[in-house]
Amino acid sequence: MNLSLFSSRPWLWLAAGTALAAALPWLASEFIASVVLSCLMYIALAVSWSTFCGATRYLSLATSAFFGLGAYSTAMLVDVLPWPLVVLAGAAVATVVAVAMGAAVLHLRGTYFAVLTFGMTELIRHAVTFVEKQVSGTVGRVLMVVPSEATVYLTVLLIAAGAIGCALWVRRSRFGLALAGIGADEQRAQTLGVHTRNAKLAGFALTAAFAGATGAAMAVRWTYIEPAAVFSPFIGFQTVLIALIGGAASIGGPVAAAVVFSLLAETLRLQLPYAYMVVLGLLLIACVIWLPEGLASLARRKGRVRP
Amino acid sequence: MTLTGWAELLAGGLITGGIYAVVAIGLNLQYGLMRIMNISHGEFLMLGAFLTWWAHTTWGGSPLAFLPVVFLALLVLGVAVHWLCFRPVAARAPNVDVFEARSLMVGFGLMFLVQNVALLIWGGDLRGYDYLAEPVQLAGMRFTPNKLVLFGVALVLSAALIVLLKATLLGKAVRALMQSPMGAQLVGIDTKRLHPLMFGIGLGLAGVAGGLLSMAYEISPSMGEPYTVTALIVITLGGFGSIAGSLAGGLLLGLVEALGMYFTSPSLKMLLSYAVFIGVLMWRPNGLFAR
Repeated sequence: MNLSLFSSRPWLWLAAGTALAAALPWLASEFIASVVLSCLMYIALAVSWSTFCGATRYLSLATSAFFGLGAYSTAMLVDVLPWPLVVLAGAAVATVVAVAMGAAVLHLRGTYFAVLTFGMTELIRHAVTFVEKQVSGTVGRVLMVVPSEATVYLTVLLIAAGAIGCALWVRRSRFGLALAGIGADEQRAQTLGVHTRNAKLAGFALTAAFAGATGAAMAVRWTYIEPAAVFSPFIGFQTVLIALIGGAASIGGPVAAAVVFSLLAETLRLQLPYAYMVVLGLLLIACVIWLPEGLASLARRKGRVRP
Repeated sequence: MTLTGWAELLAGGLITGGIYAVVAIGLNLQYGLMRIMNISHGEFLMLGAFLTWWAHTTWGGSPLAFLPVVFLALLVLGVAVHWLCFRPVAARAPNVDVFEARSLMVGFGLMFLVQNVALLIWGGDLRGYDYLAEPVQLAGMRFTPNKLVLFGVALVLSAALIVLLKATLLGKAVRALMQSPMGAQLVGIDTKRLHPLMFGIGLGLAGVAGGLLSMAYEISPSMGEPYTVTALIVITLGGFGSIAGSLAGGLLLGLVEALGMYFTSPSLKMLLSYAVFIGVLMWRPNGLFAR
């Protein structure tokens, strides 16, 4: 992907890309459509993650919690509500939990924050598992009525486009400046009149809303929902990984990294699951050592992308 | 419940707690000293378990005799990992916050790497061997001797490490580094040698803990992750950087888990641990024993 063109006319490229991707299910084969779908899912997750976590440098590992909550709300509501409301409900549930979680943990920084969000994700997973086993008497839920594949695809496309649009908007807004200020020096931002607590809460909730909506939309692809699958910490790790490898301070970086990773995942993971994870681990280590600012810094080093 | 029943329950909790303490002390050396939150710590425990199992099934003999070898092997591995991964990260990070975040990500990378290499080599099956598994009677309580050995070695190791840190010049240097990295360098403590060594000792401890576990429990390549989480919980309980705190925290968590599981249900074990963890992090982020 040509990052320089993307950064000079982002809205145009977003609209063109969305229109192109929207036509895809009717043009390409089923396999390609499913690869693109997982690609879109990771774009939505990684871009919305970096909107908050990249700007403020708060390393959240809670993406899988929001994703899983979205998926579970779909499992409960898909028979009752119309589809758009189901997705919105997923986003709403994730947002509510994010606000509660954020109020409790956003005063902590660094490793404490990362580890605590991870712990909370696991806590939510174990709690859902326990409630499902004891109260509902099931270990998983089967989705009987699901919308058509094209509907799911277009929904995820809309969410991904929304996440990119939202990231573009945030970067140009006062809110985005406040988040970047927190990332550079939180105390200074506070002194300069940023209400850091509210800004962080709002940013965290925004990330969660997109992750929840993505989870709600992707849930129907599984048909069988169980906590171990939808709350898998791997979804959170992969999101962070994509955002960091792409460059969490940019938008084009995570998008490019999401494309690369979905291709890798779809081609390698099914045949060689262990080897895929080994490659992933090596890539992550290499990336942190040699490219700590992500792929986007490569483009920037050549002077093509504005920082 | 009878008195013996209580005693058995508490002793069982302490035995699990002893292992938690060794794993946590290793992790605490790495975090307290170098700010490396090594999320792959449990994977090296798993490596230690598999090394012991492999040596025992290939050559026979007492698995206890292999523990020093496992310790040394993982120490060397740890020095290598530090040299290959964490040293370059430390060299490039502008400040300690950035270093912490990046070394956390490296830890995740190592976790994927080590766990899946183990899966490639050994497959995902559960493995184990019998060692001192015949129960014995002790003051009216029944135990398998391997668990008693496990507890004894764990306690001796933890105590030895605490003495090492309190009484020797090396320990003094380590404690100085924990208090103030800059100050330690100013009085001539060689950080470049001490960091890899302590990272290696941390992994060595994890390896020994794994070897001990393999005597009493079944092992698999995915066994490490719960121990990483438990170690995190323990060092949060005991306080980051406090070795004696980790020992106390480990034993305490073992007891809490044993009691909690007895009075509620075993499926709540992880839920309990995480609840303790989050509670402590939110209300006493410097540990239960912080003054």
